Amino acid sequence: MVLEATMICIDNSEWMRNGDYSPSRFQAQADAVNLICGAKTQSNPENTVGVLTMAGKGVRVLVTPTSDLGKILACMHGLEIGGEMNLAAGIQVAQLALKHRQNKKQQQRIIVFAGSPVKFDKKVLEMIGRKLKKNSVALDVVNFGEEDEAKTEKLEALVAAVNNNDSSHIVHVPPGPSALSDVLISTPIFTGDGEGGSGFAAAAAAAAAGGAGFEFGVDPNLDPELALALRVSMEEERARQEAAAKKAAEEAAKQEKGEQSTSQDVNMTDTAKAGTSESENKATDLTDDENALLQQALAMSMDDSSSNIATRDTDMPEAAGDDQDLALALQLSVQDSMKDESSPADMSKLLADQSFVSSILASLPGVDPNDPSVKDLLASMQNQSEHKKDEDKEPKEEDKK
Amino acid sequence: MSAESASAIQRNQVDLLDFVDWSGVECLNQSSTHSLPNALKQGYREDEGLVLESDADEQLLIYIPFNQVVKLHSIIIKGPEEEGPKTVKLFSNREHMGFSNVNDFPPSDTAVLSEDNLKGKPVILKYVKFQNVRSLTVFVEDNQSGSDITKVEKIVLCGTTVETTRKAMPGD
Repeated sequence: MVLEATMICIDNSEWMRNGDYSPSRFQAQADAVNLICGAKTQSNPENTVGVLTMAGKGVRVLVTPTSDLGKILACMHGLEIGGEMNLAAGIQVAQLALKHRQNKKQQQRIIVFAGSPVKFDKKVLEMIGRKLKKNSVALDVVNFGEEDEAKTEKLEALVAAVNNNDSSHIVHVPPGPSALSDVLISTPIFTGDGEGGSGFAAAAAAAAAGGAGFEFGVDPNLDPELALALRVSMEEERARQEAAAKKAAEEAAKQEKGEQSTSQDVNMTDTAKAGTSESENKATDLTDDENALLQQALAMSMDDSSSNIATRDTDMPEAAGDDQDLALALQLSVQDSMKDESSPADMSKLLADQSFVSSILASLPGVDPNDPSVKDLLASMQNQSEHKKDEDKEPKEEDKK
Repeated sequence: MSAESASAIQRNQVDLLDFVDWSGVECLNQSSTHSLPNALKQGYREDEGLVLESDADEQLLIYIPFNQVVKLHSIIIKGPEEEGPKTVKLFSNREHMGFSNVNDFPPSDTAVLSEDNLKGKPVILKYVKFQNVRSLTVFVEDNQSGSDITKVEKIVLCGTTVETTRKAMPGD
């Protein structure tokens, strides 16, 4: 959580075309830079990060230290590869950029990505290092790309000259299967001398691993609200499916018992009778339409067991039985809300086919067609729009499965 | 006069240590083990074993803000004969200077320390330049022997506070 202004020095020399880091050295470097920027700004919102390129036509500051992550990421686009890296000039320009930072209370840090050979003397680098130390600027070096003993030695000497109380680090990343960013995450460059940044590093590591350890691929640390929402909706869906499956199984058993009548009026009275018989345990003093609807709403919000859901569905025909117009209106509204593609007529034909329904139910997991309650429920089921709605849901869920 | 200067406190002059804003005190190029409080803080600075040392080279840049406006009269810098500071430049009211811009402004005063000074004789400053001091920057340019490390045992700032006027309070 230390308040810091960081300048990142990117190597965009010709050596970055090499593909020994996938997909290319330059791309691996860009990913690492993005990660670092994110980590710095996350560990302390007042941190600022700036970026400059060391090769190309000359040292060029792409963005001065800013806490706007979007600006930093945007400037990484369209960078051209070419030329030779000028390490000394790059570090000196970075130091100058840090000197003119807006918030003088921030600690100064330079992060250098050194992928190409270093043409400066060790002495020159050591002098630069001492100057950085004198001005209390910390330096992190990522040594990747060209593997050169002299280069390693020079960079080690540079960091040793700057190092004051372990605030500066050098990391050597050899080419290999793992990405540059992944290797860097575990280094002190990310963990910021071993304090707060480790939380972000752990989360980033998890994200990098593809969220394998976490349900739904979302890290609860990174995004607790999203993870919670996903979990809740998953549970709701599961409960709904179970309820619908159980109800459908009951309905199938009832159909097998032999309810053949297809006339709507008869069906409605039948279901009304069945509904009353089933809803004995439920409050049956539903004389008003409003009461019935209210009970349904309550039952739905409480996410009751399947029997209650069945009774809820049968309540609607009960209420509707009092008023044919209302029944019609209810049917229409239910159909609209379900956005059912197939017409009710087709569905009723399909559902009248008992063998089809029983075959569907037999394939449902966890549904026992011989369960008496299932059979009872099925007996009450006919070509009701409400039941159709559930059955439409159920075959649809079948399709989904 | 000499007795007074020997005791290093003159009429009305107080040790400005009480008015130092410690949260803003900074020292560039100090060694991490031998840092500024060794020379500045009460108790530490009396101990001759505890010194402020420079790190990468012999220069030091010390920034001392005050929590109120003061007038600076004199300054005492104690150090060892060889590694003690020689040329000391003082800047008043310049925030956040760095070694690179230290030569861009003329100093408010320059002191070349002699052996007596290093033993505790105060350096009388150009009082007129230090009438309205909010912060003081002390730049130690080199040391007596020219060695790589400068050591400072004690820094004392002597002066007075500025009389502040009080706003009329309700009920006066």
